[in-house]
Amino acid sequence: MVLISEKPATKLPPSTHEFAEVIHRLEAGGSMLPDTPENLMQIIGIYKAYAVPMDFYWRDLLYIAERVFLQPFSFFKYFLPQEYLDLRNHYAGDDADIRIWRGPATAHPELLAFMEKGRTTKMPILFHHLFHDRINMEFAEACMRAMLWHRQMYAPVNQFDAYLDSEEYKNNAHRAIAAYCKKNPIMLGLYKLFPDMFLEQCRMMSYYSNLGLFWEVMAPVFFEMSDIYNEGGFKGVPDAMNFIVNGIFAIAGRPIYHHVYIDGECYEVIPKSKGFTWLYEAALPYVEAVFYRTAPFRGTKSYNAQVGQVPNDQKDFHYGILYADVFPVGTAGIPPTLLMQDMLHFLPQYLKDYYQQYCRGEDDILIQLGITFQRSMYNVTSAVIQALRTALLYPLDDPNPRHLQANRDFFEMQLNRFTRADYNMRDAARLRQIQRQDYR
Amino acid sequence: MLSVLIWSPIIAAGIIGILPKYISARQIRLVSLVVSGLILLWNLFLLTKFDIHLPGIQLEEYLPWNETLGLNYQIGVDGLSISMLVLNTLLTWIAIYSSNEETRRPRLFYSLILLISGGVNGAFLAQNLLLFFLFYELELIPFYLLISIWGGEKRAYAGIKFLIYTAISGALILATFLGIVWLSGSHSFALSTVSTSNLTPTLQLILLTGIIVAFGIKIPLIPFHTWLPDAYVEASSPVAILLGGVLAKLGTYGLLRFGIALFPQAWETFAPTLAIWGAISAIYGAVVAIAQKDIKRMVAYSSIGHMGYILLAVAASTPLALVGAVTQMFSHGVILAILFHLVGLVELKVGTRELAKLNGLMSPIRGLPLVSALLVLSGMASAGIPGLVGFIAEFIVFQGTFSVFPIPTLLCVASSGLTAVYFVILLNNTCFGKLDNNLAYYPQVVWAEKVPALILALVIIFFGIQPTWLIRWTETTTTAIVAAIPTPEKTVTSQIALRP
Repeated sequence: MVLISEKPATKLPPSTHEFAEVIHRLEAGGSMLPDTPENLMQIIGIYKAYAVPMDFYWRDLLYIAERVFLQPFSFFKYFLPQEYLDLRNHYAGDDADIRIWRGPATAHPELLAFMEKGRTTKMPILFHHLFHDRINMEFAEACMRAMLWHRQMYAPVNQFDAYLDSEEYKNNAHRAIAAYCKKNPIMLGLYKLFPDMFLEQCRMMSYYSNLGLFWEVMAPVFFEMSDIYNEGGFKGVPDAMNFIVNGIFAIAGRPIYHHVYIDGECYEVIPKSKGFTWLYEAALPYVEAVFYRTAPFRGTKSYNAQVGQVPNDQKDFHYGILYADVFPVGTAGIPPTLLMQDMLHFLPQYLKDYYQQYCRGEDDILIQLGITFQRSMYNVTSAVIQALRTALLYPLDDPNPRHLQANRDFFEMQLNRFTRADYNMRDAARLRQIQRQDYR
Repeated sequence: MLSVLIWSPIIAAGIIGILPKYISARQIRLVSLVVSGLILLWNLFLLTKFDIHLPGIQLEEYLPWNETLGLNYQIGVDGLSISMLVLNTLLTWIAIYSSNEETRRPRLFYSLILLISGGVNGAFLAQNLLLFFLFYELELIPFYLLISIWGGEKRAYAGIKFLIYTAISGALILATFLGIVWLSGSHSFALSTVSTSNLTPTLQLILLTGIIVAFGIKIPLIPFHTWLPDAYVEASSPVAILLGGVLAKLGTYGLLRFGIALFPQAWETFAPTLAIWGAISAIYGAVVAIAQKDIKRMVAYSSIGHMGYILLAVAASTPLALVGAVTQMFSHGVILAILFHLVGLVELKVGTRELAKLNGLMSPIRGLPLVSALLVLSGMASAGIPGLVGFIAEFIVFQGTFSVFPIPTLLCVASSGLTAVYFVILLNNTCFGKLDNNLAYYPQVVWAEKVPALILALVIIFFGIQPTWLIRWTETTTTAIVAAIPTPEKTVTSQIALRP
């Protein structure tokens, strides 16, 4: 277990960075999010509300990657079969590989209850689907696409992405595609005509699997955090962050793979034996893509590439959750997206009561919980930054000032992403706002 | 029957003024609302008694008062005044509804509003010059107090300026009325007995100038308009609704009632000047509105522009133009009222009227979406977008005036285009764009605050789709007025355009 000291013997002079206060907090083992009881309550509440739909997301992502695969008319890909609802999470339940959550390994009870009735009433699943009275998988798919669109992140550390262009992957994919099209002459003909298109679809399916395996870990992490908080276990935001850091290290080596099941046979498009791991091949690319670059929140602002409002380089994109704006219309912000709708169904009562007290209560609860989500993701990002620092640099209480300086340089480099003035990135970053409690 | 419209608000004003102190502001508002609502209903009932086929005065009431002076209580209604009465009673109710439930000095506030309502009704109904003057002057002090006590930062300045201008207007009216009666040798101030036909053209022109300047201050026409932006901007929203929606109409009504009707011959001489004056007012109002940085001031200047159309129509004095003038008076009153109400709501919720600071209010969750949507609708109505009452009024005005004054009409059409420009500026800055993260934690607009705007929006849409229901009250009277003007070529103008 990694323990981050809360009182490092810092021997460095105060930072002169624009976010010096945040730097000092990180150096003290804290989070970018200020340590207040209100922040703790908000982020834990939202983790729980996020984890329930996430329990659906990861199951369905794996279902699509493994079973739906290249189905051209995948109308029913969100109709999760019982087999996948019963799929055992590897990090929950009695038979877990590593037990993170004390709860059951199958789908979360609140999720099952919601799928039964939704917010309306009990009716055939098709009607729930058409009325959007369901878990909105579109959000999860958009996250997956964000990762796909921003390929080559963290290269060369991230080898998963490079592997998708390798001959070995193409051969594996070919076998799976050929098996899938075997009984369908039209598909087979199309595959002969447009092999690259099928290969690209297969790559996308590999990202489905990647994200599904990533979230399979995160859901029990968040459930457990909620349970610990309910028991009075967390004393502050750093505790919550450290729990995530420890979770990251505990799971870091979890294999990332892509298996496809066709006619009862398993095709290993990306075998586990390739050694792709959860931290480097899934977690870091996910954070980079969704937190920094392109969160799937439907802003309605049209960026004008002709006047340089859109960065030339994808790595400069700053449309992730950490930059998302509060207001939905006329902005690229956190609108009441599908994720917000999904989380709304599972908010703990204390968070509902909290939102009732501020702004417009029930009427703008989606925005309020969106802001809370942003706060919580700053905390997750802090955990990732601390985890990277732990993995790549030095302990916070290292007696060597040069090591401490290296740590500081690392923190400052991370926070510099929120201070760049080009493309209005400086104004877009919400790090300043989350320092204030009245940012809702 | 008509006296109810005058005396019930005045009596209610007196009673409210002496209500005991333990009655809360909320209760006083409720009483005022009920009284003004009943008066509005009574007014609507009177519509059923009004015969639209009769051109003259109807439902007359007469009481001898001071016959030596020629002052009698003589009231009646015709096609010119009937829609103005409805406008006044409707906007009085709207103004009271849109007032703050916790208004300071509520007894005085609501008393003054009801006093104004009764006075304006009296002015619209008066069939005696002196009686008109008395009711006309009855507005002066209540409005001054409403601006000076419940107004904005510069309320004292705005109130005094308003007082001085309108006092001059009143003095000019009195002087002109006295001149008319004395010089024409009449023994009474009764409108039906006063005639200027025996006066020389020069005297007629002088007296008509007095009428035009006096009412021109009230409308107001440039260059007598400088009281308007200050008064409209500094007045609270309910008072601004009454100022713009009702008081200004007394000016144009005065021109129609006492300008054209009493000086048909001199009017012909003055008409081209008035038409150009109207066009200049319209262009000036629009151009200055474009330059404004304060949305309330922008709306205030828009009022000057739109009153210019009425002057043009009155100058043209064709049957269609006069129908257009009355329609525009009603349309302008309703549109200005909704605009002031909405601007007031924006100021109340956002805390500013500055264009530079407003943005993104259309945001459905954290903005003021319904207010913004209605602001768009009102802007469209003011800019004369088809389907709304503003279009009908402007179209009739331009249709009626083009044959007589083509150039001023074209200038007014251009000014109508400029209206669209400043409303696009206003709406683009206010409703669209990005909400400011640091500022946009606005209180929600509650249902009660939306009601006045929704009612006015319904009126705007309804008469935009079914204008005949607005126009038919006026047609017979305006045709009769035009017939009295000795210019045969004008009487053939296309009244038929309005009829199937």
